[in-house]
Amino acid sequence: MSAVVQAEGLYRHFHGDGVPIRAVDGVDLIVDQGEAVSIMGPSGCGKSTLLHLLGGLERPDAGTLVLGDQRVDGLSEAAWARLRRRTIGFVFQAFHLVDELTAVENVELPAVLIGSPRRAARRRAMQLLERLNVADRASHLPDRLSGGQLQRVALARALINEPLLVLADEPTGNLDSHATNEILRLFAGLREAGQTLVLVTHDPRVAATAERLMTMRDGAIVDDTRLDGGAPRQAVLRQLAGWEA
Amino acid sequence: MGAGRLIIGLAWRNVRHRPWQALLLLFALSLSTTAITMALVLAEVGDRSWDRVSRATSGYHVDASAETSPDMSPAQRERVRAELASLGEAPGVIAVGGPWRGAHVDAEIDGAPLRLRVQVRDTDSAAVDQPLVTAGHWLDGREGVVLEDGLAAAAGLQPGDTITIAGQRVPVRGAALTVNINAYPTDQPARVWISPATAARLGAALDGGGYQLQLRLADPDQAESFAAAHPEVNDTWQESKSESTHDLEELAAVLVTLAISVVGLTIATAGILVAGRMAAQIRQVGTLKAVGVTPGQVTCVLLVEYLAVAFLATGVGLAAGTLLAPPLARLTDVLSVYGAQTPSITWPRAAIVVAIVTSVVLFATVRPALRGVRHSTLRSLGGSTRPPHRAGRLIRAVDRLPLPLAVRLGLRSTTRRRGRFVANTFGLTIGITLVITTLALRDGVNGFRQKGLSINDPDPISRAASIANQDRMSTLGFTIAAFIVALAVINAIVAAVFSAQDSTRNHAIQRALGTTPGQTVTEFLVAHVAACLLACALGIPLGIAFYTTSTRGPLDPIGLSALTYAATVLIALLLYAVIAFTPARLLARRRIAPQLAYE
Repeated sequence: MSAVVQAEGLYRHFHGDGVPIRAVDGVDLIVDQGEAVSIMGPSGCGKSTLLHLLGGLERPDAGTLVLGDQRVDGLSEAAWARLRRRTIGFVFQAFHLVDELTAVENVELPAVLIGSPRRAARRRAMQLLERLNVADRASHLPDRLSGGQLQRVALARALINEPLLVLADEPTGNLDSHATNEILRLFAGLREAGQTLVLVTHDPRVAATAERLMTMRDGAIVDDTRLDGGAPRQAVLRQLAGWEA
Repeated sequence: MGAGRLIIGLAWRNVRHRPWQALLLLFALSLSTTAITMALVLAEVGDRSWDRVSRATSGYHVDASAETSPDMSPAQRERVRAELASLGEAPGVIAVGGPWRGAHVDAEIDGAPLRLRVQVRDTDSAAVDQPLVTAGHWLDGREGVVLEDGLAAAAGLQPGDTITIAGQRVPVRGAALTVNINAYPTDQPARVWISPATAARLGAALDGGGYQLQLRLADPDQAESFAAAHPEVNDTWQESKSESTHDLEELAAVLVTLAISVVGLTIATAGILVAGRMAAQIRQVGTLKAVGVTPGQVTCVLLVEYLAVAFLATGVGLAAGTLLAPPLARLTDVLSVYGAQTPSITWPRAAIVVAIVTSVVLFATVRPALRGVRHSTLRSLGGSTRPPHRAGRLIRAVDRLPLPLAVRLGLRSTTRRRGRFVANTFGLTIGITLVITTLALRDGVNGFRQKGLSINDPDPISRAASIANQDRMSTLGFTIAAFIVALAVINAIVAAVFSAQDSTRNHAIQRALGTTPGQTVTEFLVAHVAACLLACALGIPLGIAFYTTSTRGPLDPIGLSALTYAATVLIALLLYAVIAFTPARLLARRRIAPQLAYE
């Protein structure tokens, strides 16, 4: 399998009150095509920053990053934007829908950005909303949608351009248990469909949808385990479930 | 006591943490209070000046005259004079001035011909209408002439100079003010007073004139009924006062209109500021509520903060307006003669300004403040602002056009904060209206100077004085317009800055999805240029209407070329794009992740 993400020696430091904070401290990472990876760890360990680095929302202070076959760590802001349109789909904890666009307009936005004809973009957006069971809310503004509906719309938006990589940052963090179960089913479906996924989560149930679990602490990956089912998966997840969210 | 201290402490902390916003609001409110004060002062300053001169000259209550002809014998003239003088014995008359002999005669000043209204005065002080000497001294036993102050100023004559009256050279003894006649060149021919010795030398040149009698009444309010009962009376003090302060009243009316515009603009600016700050402070409001501060106290914090700024602005405006009003008033020909005095700050005037500015602040603050405190504490803590409105039909129709995505998103974002869009468009509309009015005024004054005066006014001294007056009025117009346009620009900057803040999250989301920074800048500019285009569409007809209604009379109807209108629109759009570009560019350069992580 070819690698979708290859990161080597990624560093990202922040300066808070004069004290440098090593948010990401020399991370090496390879994610193969079709692989679903969960990243867990305590709050402030740098997992969201790592996700932002992989999606170009933050720039590394050092290290190399290759997406597909393109080295991207030195790209300009505009070049990253163009790359994200086709290559990356984001799902955020806070959903982050554009609040003046309706649900279907939010979903079709990335398709329109890559130049798809508007009719085709709308058709594809509606298909995705139907697949995710929110087609009946297509013409609603985000403030009229529930948390679960918002996240399903956000997922549809992330998938509309069939991206090489989906990055999800705490996708169930703002959802109740019913909505969480729905989203878990959707992620499981994505993994089975061969979508490359990187999930950052506190929730062991979300982590369990992946086939590989990475653990971060103090900006570094301290553990990288394959969850191939059976006893190892359950043991690891039970251990992780004790973490403070 | 404790709650009061908490409220004041929190309000003071808010001001200290955002000093630029407080300063911007202070500046906008100060401009507004200055304009209101100037309008109030100017409305009063004319009356005060006329009253001052009337008191100093024992000004008349009624003015009567009788004409004579050149072919009358001295005895016949004496009968006319005596008949007019008998009016001084009518009931209610308490003082008499005249009858004074007078005539319109040809004269020459520095080789320039003009007509003069000559009046023969005694060297003794008159009981009524004894002119107030402003330069040199009053007539004495020698030959000489005292010029009405406006004529002396227009012709540049000083005591000791000489003018020619009816072919005779007469030395100028002084210049003086009266309320009996409006200042030259408003009233023409100009009034001059000559001594009996000079009258004797002019001889027959005065024969074709007549006599003037001025009376003071026991009850000045009876002047109109006295005039109705005596046909010889042709003028009352009320008419004179009304005419002499007419220019100033018009100016005050224009200023009041503009002050209302300024107040409107200030409301728009303050509204945007307050609403923008409320959006940013929602989380703080939530925190305050969460620790036990009541919604009423939260509202009080905001009101105390803005009212403190408003009261400071009132002080600045009262002082600035009172200081600026006299130089402004001197730009009118009336006060250049009567001499404007700086009126002191009166309590009623201060109360009016305080009432207006307090209303502005309450109007702008209460609604967003109440909206902020009505949010549930949890919602406020979440930091979420009010959701945007749904796009209207027009925007949805435009959305279907084959426009670039950035343009469509920009138009769509105009619906995000309709109140702000309306306030911004309102401010820009007033700015465009004033620009068109100013351009038309400049054109009108130039046209007036080039053709109107040369045809209608053969008197070169009067023409020069009128031109100077027109220049003063143009300066006044341009100054006021610049004042308002400056406020409109501030309004635009405030709107752009807060729109940028409000767009932060959405732009970050769009960039995360693949929108380039250039596209988000374009989107932001489109949203703002749309407001500017709408303002041009409204402001141009409003400017034409404002010019037409406020300059009825001497100036030509508006005649600006299509090129001027097009250039105005283009420059306004470019200027506004520059104003909006800076916050948009700064926004586009911010890192995406922190903006998305905020929630």
